[in-house]
This record gives sequence, structure tokens and C-alpha cells, in this order.
Amino acid sequence: MNINPEDPKWTAYVLGELNDAERAQVEKELESSATAREVVEEIRLATDLLRHELTQEQAVGLAAEQRHAITSAAAPRRVRPMFRWAGVAASVAAGLLIVATLSVQSLFRSRQAAPVARTVTASLPDAHRAETDGRENAHVNPSVVSRDKEEDERNRSQLASNIQEGLQVQQGQQLQQAQQAGSPAGSGGQLSALPAYSFAEKQAYRRLAVASGPPPAAARTAVADRVDQRQLNAEAYDLISDNPFIRVTQDPLATFSIDVDTASYANIRRFLSMNQLPPKDAVRIEEMINYFSYDYPSPTARHPIATYTEVAAAPWKPEHRLVRIGIKGKDIDMAKRPPSNLVFLVDVSGSMATPEKLPMLKSAMKLMVEKLGEGDHVAIVTYAGSSGVHLRSTSGDKKEVINSAIDALNSDGSTNGGAGILLAYETAMSNFIRGGTNRVILATDGDFNVGVTNQGDLIRIIEEKAKSGVFLSVLGFGMGNYKDSTLEKLADKGNGNYAYIDTMNEARKVLVEEMSSTLLTIAKDVKIQVEFNPAEVNAYRLIGYENRALRHEDFNDDKKDAGDMGAGHTVTALFEVVPRGVEVEISAVDQLKYQQRTLDIRRVASGELLNVRIRYKDPDGNTSQLIETPVIDRGTAFNNASTEFRFAAAVASFGMILRDSPHKGQSTMDAVIEIAEKSRSGDKNGYRDEFVQLVRKARALKGNQ
Amino acid sequence: MEDATKSTWIVAALDQYEGHLVRYATWILGDVERAREVVQETFLRLCKEQPARIGNHLAQWLFTVCRNLAFDVRKKENRMSPLKDPETLPVTDDRPGASLENEETMSQVLRLMETLPKNQREVLRLKFQSDLSYKEISAITKLSVTNVGFLIHTAIKTLRKELLAESAKRRIQ
Repeated sequence: MNINPEDPKWTAYVLGELNDAERAQVEKELESSATAREVVEEIRLATDLLRHELTQEQAVGLAAEQRHAITSAAAPRRVRPMFRWAGVAASVAAGLLIVATLSVQSLFRSRQAAPVARTVTASLPDAHRAETDGRENAHVNPSVVSRDKEEDERNRSQLASNIQEGLQVQQGQQLQQAQQAGSPAGSGGQLSALPAYSFAEKQAYRRLAVASGPPPAAARTAVADRVDQRQLNAEAYDLISDNPFIRVTQDPLATFSIDVDTASYANIRRFLSMNQLPPKDAVRIEEMINYFSYDYPSPTARHPIATYTEVAAAPWKPEHRLVRIGIKGKDIDMAKRPPSNLVFLVDVSGSMATPEKLPMLKSAMKLMVEKLGEGDHVAIVTYAGSSGVHLRSTSGDKKEVINSAIDALNSDGSTNGGAGILLAYETAMSNFIRGGTNRVILATDGDFNVGVTNQGDLIRIIEEKAKSGVFLSVLGFGMGNYKDSTLEKLADKGNGNYAYIDTMNEARKVLVEEMSSTLLTIAKDVKIQVEFNPAEVNAYRLIGYENRALRHEDFNDDKKDAGDMGAGHTVTALFEVVPRGVEVEISAVDQLKYQQRTLDIRRVASGELLNVRIRYKDPDGNTSQLIETPVIDRGTAFNNASTEFRFAAAVASFGMILRDSPHKGQSTMDAVIEIAEKSRSGDKNGYRDEFVQLVRKARALKGNQ
Repeated sequence: MEDATKSTWIVAALDQYEGHLVRYATWILGDVERAREVVQETFLRLCKEQPARIGNHLAQWLFTVCRNLAFDVRKKENRMSPLKDPETLPVTDDRPGASLENEETMSQVLRLMETLPKNQREVLRLKFQSDLSYKEISAITKLSVTNVGFLIHTAIKTLRKELLAESAKRRIQ
């Protein structure tokens, strides 16, 4: 066969550019000709080398503000609240607008008691100028080609930015004043130096100001009150009804998913620190109990989790027994943990601007980045009116790169959680580390007000994405606009955990101290099913876990999702059990007419109180494993129970008081404090001490019961 | 939801092609900042497009628009400074980071590549740097597919003669 090395087909073959027939022809020639093989091999070497050299050439992307200009142009226009408002403003007379702007100033002045007259066009303090430029350049950049409707759009945004500047002049002045006054809060233009007016609050002020002009002094307080009221009402909690007592003869089974969230406790702490009692529905007792880590031994058997049970008298009702079921996930040495592929999905919407939200998140992220190593990867996806990759997946040892990306996070716009979530999962999947930790960490105040806001749709997206093997952590921030119910559901459906970050300490606890348990899942879909022995138990009640109930048949259904456990995590569930012979008031259900229970006499007579079954799956497995633990009641008095048992009982008791639970029995704040104070041993980080402080605070607000 | 999908689409396109396009435009213009402006404009034009209309021709569309814009910019600038010949623009020396490199550290391959005719260099870049197909390159450069194949083959053939000895050592598995 005559081989012509000059024929372009050889190169085309190597580059995969031939059609089937041509390729078959070339392959036939390759089989029969050593020359042909040599030609192809040489081309292959040359192309490999070229590809290597050319892809080595550094690829710089666009500048951040250029990307921003593009993502803004791609974003749905009408939905950014600043613009929407500006649209309204644009339609009123210009004269009115000036009045409006002035009135915003006078309002702020009055609150700050520091009258400094400036016009909206006054030059900005440098720190703010830089920030504003970064944001607004996108809309005035001369290289942005304007087209038809865009002109109008730009005018509006210019208008909005003028107003925004006016506001920022005020903020800048506050900052300067704070610095002049030697306030320790003046930290180099950080938002934390500013009073905690939320974005929503400012907006409300502006709107009110537009509507009414400068209000008289007396009316201002009323305005402020109304705004505060509005803010509180904007928090959303799902209704929780305490689990009732159930007779064993009616239903001997209790089935539920574990809950490793801790958000409710931190949220309660936030309310109490503001001298307010939390709304009842913000109190989820299981999240309070599980906020604390309990000293259960690390599992040694073949399972990655182990069960520990204990029974003693219920402190709030001594004739009832309290059963503690503790689960402990195996500890994993942080030094030996598998590499992490983390995608922070950061809400940068306007509502995140206040100091306790984005600025705190940024500090918390830096703490966490500090702990990452070479094998780990971090990406940051932001979402507001539009979503975008803020930092592409970057190795954990490039700390300066990551930290400067964190520094560059600014709040802006409204919130389209849906698109951001999709993008974050895509980023996580394209950097998937097999055998490693793959996790999206969503940080938000949960106020998804743009795009896919329908909770059902969001949950469906998350549920779908959870199947990809990417886990989800949800970090809730802030107050006033806080959507607890949405966030808990997202974490629940997304194979995840949920924490509320109210203080820097909490951020450190969740992201640094408990990093391994937060990030490294060792068992997923952990379900608990407890069967009570009718010979020993009259009735029972699961304390908390109201929104974690599963149908009994779901226990063995491996397709049914449940909670996940991280390395070293502990999960604790408490049952209040009414022993046989002790009466309990339960609205009577009539005796069943046709059914007759057949009992296994031998087993019933075993003396066992109950039997705990736990199902879990390995993090990458699809089939569940079963662990069974029978529990015998040895009649232990409450005071002889373990420290961990007593502390958990104190937390549960406190939760019931806060919820005004019909089952709180003799619970009192005093009793809670007494028990907790005696069960603080081993409290390394002072969380149990803090608990005692919180109960004292609650007692001051609510009284003893 | 449609808006959100589009926005996701744009962001995905940015993530995938932003770097490629800036590198390509930098090669044409010899300047990163102007290249960035061209690429920004390319994406702003993409924002006006219907995703369905572009379908799976996204890469082709982006490179074509980017190339045309970059050539427009270059033409305009050459009109203003007529002494500069577009073919002799010191393009490669303006690669980002190039100032840090000297002749010796710049790879032999890239140095040899600069001796090739410009049309060969362009198709090599599109093929090996941005992993485009002959068909896509043909659409972008307005050359026929056969011609693209011929240019790449010829360029490879020229390069391989001088490179093979070294390439065996440096080949990346």
C-alpha cells in the first residue's frame, strides 16, 4: 500500500475529525502499514505537545466589573428592588424626588442626632466610593453598548444609584463620626461599624418618606415602630404542635428521621439576647438538644455509628420514665480526612448587607479557609438578582486568592435562590471529588424573592440535586427577614444540615470546631424506629422531632430520605414513657372492634422496655444497614442518671417551657438551671455555661414557668 | 424561571469560554485590556440572543463574534496609526506574563510556532487551545473545512520535524 504522509487525513484521524467511513479506511491502512503507524504516532506526539504548550498559556478572564456588567445584563430586569423602586420614583415629578431624598436624610439625621447637611451628589468617602463604583460601573461603563430599552434602564439605575449614594453619604458620615468618637467599631469602612439598619428597613423608610414627605418628629417614632413591627412579622416559622402521648395498644411504633440541625437553638439565643422571648414555633426542641455535643464513646464495631441508650425518671414528671437514645458517628482525624470540594453559595442580596449577615459570614468563611489544605477546593457562587461564579474552584492552599475573593463579596440586589442553587450544584458536580467531601454551603437569610421562590419548586430542585452525591449545608443569618421554615426544609431535602449563625462564636463552632461533623458525612438517611413493649409501657411521647416524623413503612424504604450524620456527630432523642400501671390522659380512641393483637408472650415477658432499630446508609451507598438495640429499664432515679442524660433533660425541659407545651409538667426555669448547673462537666467550650445564662435571661423575661 | 435559566446559561457560558476568548482576542489584538473589552461586548451580545437559537453552536458563535469584533478594533486602530502592519504586530510578546519570560524560558514549541504563517497559527490556537472542531474553526475563520484540515496538517508537519526529538522527553502522559 502506498502511504502518503502529506495527506491531511492522518492529522484529521489523530484529532478525531474523520467520519466513520474515512476512519475505517485509515484504520485498515494502519493495520497493514508500519509506515502509516509511524506517521500517525509522530503526529500524535506533536499534537500532544502543542496542546500541552498552548493550554499552558495563561488564560486571564474578564475583570470582575466586566463580568458583573454581563451577569446584570443577563439577569431578569424588572426584579431588582432598587430598580423597581426607582421605576416608581422616575414616574413621579422630579421636584418630589428631591423632597423625597431630602426627607430620607432628615430621617436619618434625626435618628443619628448629628445634622450634617449635604446634597446627594456630595462626594463619597473613599471606602464607599470604591464599593459603589464596583457595583454601579457596570451600568455606566462606556464599553457597554447601549441598545433601545437599555437607555431607559440605565437612566433608572443612575437615578437609583444617586439615591443609594445619598444613603451612603449618610452611612459614611456615621462611619466618620464613629471613628472620630473613638468608637472601637470603626473598622476600616467595614459595614460592621454601622448601626444595624437592615436594607428592608432603609427601603421602608425611603418609601414612607416618598409617600409623606418629612414627617413631624412625633410621627417618626411611630414610623420606626411600624417598621420594626413589619420586620418581626416578616420572619417565617412553620407551626409546630407538640407530639402527643400515644398508647402502645394504638400504635407500638414510633418512626422518625434524625435531625442534626442546630439552628433553632442559635435563633432562640438571638431572641433572648435582644430581650425577647422567641415565638413558640421557632422553638424546635430536638435542635436545642442536638445543639450540644454529648460524650458518647466513638463506635468501635463495624458500623460507622453506635447507639447508646439510658432510662431514668423524667424530672418534670417523676412517675414517667425518660428514655434517651443517643447516636454517635465515628470520629475522623481531621488530618486524615478526605479532600473537600466546597462550593459556598452566598446570598449577596441587599438584605444581607447588615453587619450580622454578610460581613460576619465573610469573617467566618476566612476562619474556615484557614483550616483547608492543598487537596481541598473552594468555589464561591453568589446570587442576588443574578447569579455567578465569584471564585472558580480553587485549591485550599491558595489562601490569598480565596481570601481576596471573600473580601470582594458585596451585597447588592434581590434574591434569586433558585438559579444560584442550580449553579452551585453544577460547580460542585464539575469539581466532584470521588471519595471526598462534596458539599454546597448555602449562606443566606432565606429571603428568596426572585425567580424560583415557590418553596415547592426549590425543594424539588434540591431533592433532585441531592441524588448527585453533593451534600448541602445551610447557614442561616440575620434577623427581621429570616425565613427559618424555608431553610430547614432545604437542608432536610438536600442531604444536609442547617445551622443558624447569630454570633461570631457560633460561626466558629459550626465552621471550625465542628468542621468535620458539618462537612464530612459518615452515614446518611439515618432513621430511627422504636417499638414499645406493651407489657411495660402504657403510652409514650417523642419529645421534639415534630417535623421529622416518618411513616412506619418508610423505615424500611431505602428510597425515603432522612437525616445525615457527620464525623463525630452526636444525635440525641428523648422519649417520655408512661409505664404500665401509671394512668395518662389521652383523648380516648374506642377499642377496635375487629382487630385483635397477638402478642409474642415470650418476648413481651422479656422485661425489655422497648427496642430501638436504626437504619443508615454509607455516604455513597444505596442500601441501608440495620442496628438493633433492646432497652431495659432498671428503675434509675433522675439524680443517678449520667451527666449527659441530665443535661439533655434540662434542655428539653427548657424547650417545653418556651413552647408552653401541655406536657411540660413540673418544669420550671429554676429546676432547669439547677439540673444544668450540675451537669456541666466536660463542657470544654462553655456552651453549657451559656445555656444556663440563657435560661436565666428567659426567666427574667417570662417568669419561672 | 425562563429568565433564571437564561441567566444561568450566560453564567455557564462565561465560565466555560471567558478565559479562552480573552486569550484568543489577546492574541489578535496584542493587548489584554482591549481583548477584555471585546470579550465583554461579545457576551453582552450573547445576552440579547435566544439560547434556543444558538443551540449547541455556542462556542462557534462566541468565537465568531469575538473574532469579528477584535478585527474591527484592530482595523480601526490601524487606520489611526497607519505605520503599523497588522501582520507584524508583536502579538505574542503581549501575552499576559510574557514580559516575565525571556527567549530561553519560552518553550521551543511556541517559539517555532511563531515562524509559521499567521493563518496556520490561528487554526492551531483554535484547535489546540480552545479545542474546537474543524467544522467550528471553518465557520469562525471562513475557511473551508478541507482548508482548515490542510493548514493544521501542514503546520503540524512543519513543527514535528524539529520537535520530535525533544517531545519524547517532554510529552505529558
